[in-house]
Amino acid sequence: MRKAWLTWTMLGASALISVGCATYPDQATTRQIAEKMVSEGFTASPEHAKRLVQDKSQQICSKIGGAELTQAEADEVLKLARASIKYPASGKLVGDWKAGDKLAHDGAGDRISRGRLEKRKENGGLCQNCHALAAGEINVGNVGPSLTGFGAQRGNSEAIVKYTYDKIYNAWHSVPCSNMPRLGATGHLTPEQVAHMVAYLLAPQSPINRK
Amino acid sequence: MSGIRSSIAAIALAWVSALAFAQGSAGDPLAVGRQMLAEDNPGELWIDKGKQLFYAKRGPNSVSLEQCDFGMGPGKLEGAAAQLPRHFPDTGKVQDLESRLLTCMVRLQGFKREDLIKRAISPGGSSGSDVEALALYITSRSNGMKVNVSLSHQQEYDTYKAGEYLFFRRSGQTDFGCVQCHGEANKRIRLQDLIHMTDKKGAQEVASTWPAYRGAHYVVRTMQWRLADCFWQMRLPDMAYGSDLSVALTMYLNTQGNGAVIKVPGFKR
Repeated sequence: MRKAWLTWTMLGASALISVGCATYPDQATTRQIAEKMVSEGFTASPEHAKRLVQDKSQQICSKIGGAELTQAEADEVLKLARASIKYPASGKLVGDWKAGDKLAHDGAGDRISRGRLEKRKENGGLCQNCHALAAGEINVGNVGPSLTGFGAQRGNSEAIVKYTYDKIYNAWHSVPCSNMPRLGATGHLTPEQVAHMVAYLLAPQSPINRK
Repeated sequence: MSGIRSSIAAIALAWVSALAFAQGSAGDPLAVGRQMLAEDNPGELWIDKGKQLFYAKRGPNSVSLEQCDFGMGPGKLEGAAAQLPRHFPDTGKVQDLESRLLTCMVRLQGFKREDLIKRAISPGGSSGSDVEALALYITSRSNGMKVNVSLSHQQEYDTYKAGEYLFFRRSGQTDFGCVQCHGEANKRIRLQDLIHMTDKKGAQEVASTWPAYRGAHYVVRTMQWRLADCFWQMRLPDMAYGSDLSVALTMYLNTQGNGAVIKVPGFKR
């Protein structure tokens, strides 16, 4: 009787151990499995597949569960961001606010559907998707902070112009890994387009700064 | 069909008037319209279509899907969708409802996988695809039951963790991962509410409301469509229908959403 009990206990224990084998994989294994899924999870031409490959900053900024960056990681993202910023050939960081207004309200461009690229004269600036713009506009997102009165609050000194340009071109130059896309640095917008949006944000006549 | 059309017209009208009415109310100006639509969900019409497709002898092999095993045994649909994704020994893979459905339509009925995938997501305003109707019917057989995804097989653990990794993975020219839009409460893209998926309640909403009737498209949409459409907006290439990547994201979200009571078709804008 006693022997039978012992046998069953041992059997049970070994069963538990074999079930217990299944558990969460470590980080490196997870990464390997998930990256394989990415490489097999999309039907894409080699050109479009490049979009799936992370650059160094994106790798750093993909912390699971919003874990905090180390100081070294934050510094690296900032350094890469500063090095990425290009300015218009004209040297003018403030373009045409009317062109910027149009861009800010344009959420299209460069999407891929059934292998075809959404071809347009230029990509939209995407601002309206996430930010409140001119006062009274209803169809605006709130993922990012309101930009209503952006220039009216800050003026348009040379320092503000440069800050605004850099922020749109590569948002991670001031806040590493913020939710905002690095619109210029990733190639979504051209330096000239960024300059138009700077004008839209800062020009006193721009709807965004009107009362 | 004309029944569908006229109900769509009525709904469109209700939508417009609800919008006009709701403009004044602060907070969520579209809540009234959404509520009105949810009460008379045209997606119900797809359940019957899915049921007919399930039991009809179809495909080159002219058999029904009654021998399809969604995890509870062949033909056992009651509560099956509530436990997906899960590992299936016969494919050696973790599968969600839709990838499992493909397996059965290929193995049992003899359809070509590429053909099914090509038609899986229907054009807006169409009468919908077979896969969409079937996915809705099968999920509706879990209505009123709790989402109950469990991790026991090693591949289930791996898939869950991969899904979590993918949720936070940023790439492409928008630098977006899922969490950039779905990591906080009360956020919107333009006027579209975003579900807060790193919160239990938000994940539960995801896990219990797909397939759903999508008002703007006049068709029933599935979770695979939802993921693919997000990747499109993120400027990433076309997500492969039923891919392991899509299953992993669903595994992550549904596991987080355990305990939610399934009620399909959901209703989406």
